[in-house]
Amino acid sequence: MTGQAFFVLTALAGGPRHGYGIVGEVADLSQGRVELKIGSLYGVLDRLAAGGLIEPDREEPHDGRLRRYYRLTRDGRRALAEEAEVHAAAARVVRARLGLTGPAAAGAGG
Amino acid sequence: MSGPGLERRYRRVLRLLPGYYRDAWEEDMVAAFLDSWLTGDPEVDAAVLTFCRPSWGEIASVAGLGVRLYLGGAGTPRRYFAWGQAVRRAVLAVMLVHAVLGLNVLVRTAWSRRLFGLPAPPASLLAVTPSGVWPTVFHVVNVAWIVIFVTLALGHYRTARLLAALAIIPGLAALLQAQFTGIMPAPFGPWAWWVLFSLAPVAAMTAFHTGAPPAARWSWLLALPTGYLLVIVPLLVAQATGNLAWVPDFSGQCCLLVALACLAHAPRAWSRQAVGSGVWSLTLALLAAVAGAYRIVTLTGYAHDPHLITVSLAELIILVAAAALVAPDAARAQTATPAPPYRGTIAA
Repeated sequence: MTGQAFFVLTALAGGPRHGYGIVGEVADLSQGRVELKIGSLYGVLDRLAAGGLIEPDREEPHDGRLRRYYRLTRDGRRALAEEAEVHAAAARVVRARLGLTGPAAAGAGG
Repeated sequence: MSGPGLERRYRRVLRLLPGYYRDAWEEDMVAAFLDSWLTGDPEVDAAVLTFCRPSWGEIASVAGLGVRLYLGGAGTPRRYFAWGQAVRRAVLAVMLVHAVLGLNVLVRTAWSRRLFGLPAPPASLLAVTPSGVWPTVFHVVNVAWIVIFVTLALGHYRTARLLAALAIIPGLAALLQAQFTGIMPAPFGPWAWWVLFSLAPVAAMTAFHTGAPPAARWSWLLALPTGYLLVIVPLLVAQATGNLAWVPDFSGQCCLLVALACLAHAPRAWSRQAVGSGVWSLTLALLAAVAGAYRIVTLTGYAHDPHLITVSLAELIILVAAAALVAPDAARAQTATPAPPYRGTIAA
């Protein structure tokens, strides 16, 4: 799973969002590191929808246009949880290698 | 096309995308684009909608999406998947040519230095040790194509794209230098080689995106030594025995090799039961177009030699005739090649 897809799924884990809402949420979640262009966003949304990880939630009128909201599916939630676990496991290994594990390290780090 | 100026401009940009995709996503994309501009202040928004234009970054992102969709992978309509697969295989085939040539450089260098206890090669096959900056750079680049081909076949697309983009730069620099210093050996041939066999395939590597199904890696990897044995070794024998005059020039060799591949594939292309033959037919049609274009351009170098012109035209006719055998199957491929579905875990 690419970083963009991971952040899009994470953005939708907080509840259904429309296209531009996802862009803003991804920017917030990644603290500005992931800046999704609309073309890239829809490339990701298309593939996530085709993979059954997200689905349309509803459409709402806004300024004379319909905004389509997307939500995570059950498969999407599971895929995101698995990916998060992979990231967490990798982070644990890195922290162990750097000697940052344990209460003392946590205290020193925080 | 309705709506204010900015909306019209975005819809124009979205025409870069295939129709099936626009049907599904255009309205939503336009809404998202406009949301990224609008402030909620009626006066400001009216000015924005009238005067603002899509940024180059947004246009580039839509163009990138368009390339990915036209050269489709998993989950795309048959026509786009067939083109995507054909372009990916054609790129691998051109990279294979580079890799086989690179392998030849390695083997002849090793042989000339009598590495691994090899006997001394015939004088005509002695490889000259590169001296000076440019010859050394080209020596390294020739060998680097082996790495690029293997990397691509193994599915490390990003690395292969990066290495290939670097590998074509020395060729461009040498061409520009030759052009501006007036030492270009032929008017168009070297440029055609660089454009058709370096720039175009490297640009077409964008077809290797995350939705692309993996290549049949072992078959492609096996093609490297096989290609060396079947093509380069007979050429070396011809060179060592003084029969090189019978061997066509490089563009002629390309024409004849693609023609042979078309002939070998023709029975499968004509058998309606052969599953997936159409994509190979489309691949061969693409390669025939590249080889034919190169043959035509390099004809200009033989303007004063009617015999070589005749030989070159004969090669071209053989290529066209062989490609015509697989052309109907190539046309059918666009409607007969279903893309594999997305895997459950695939994301982007």
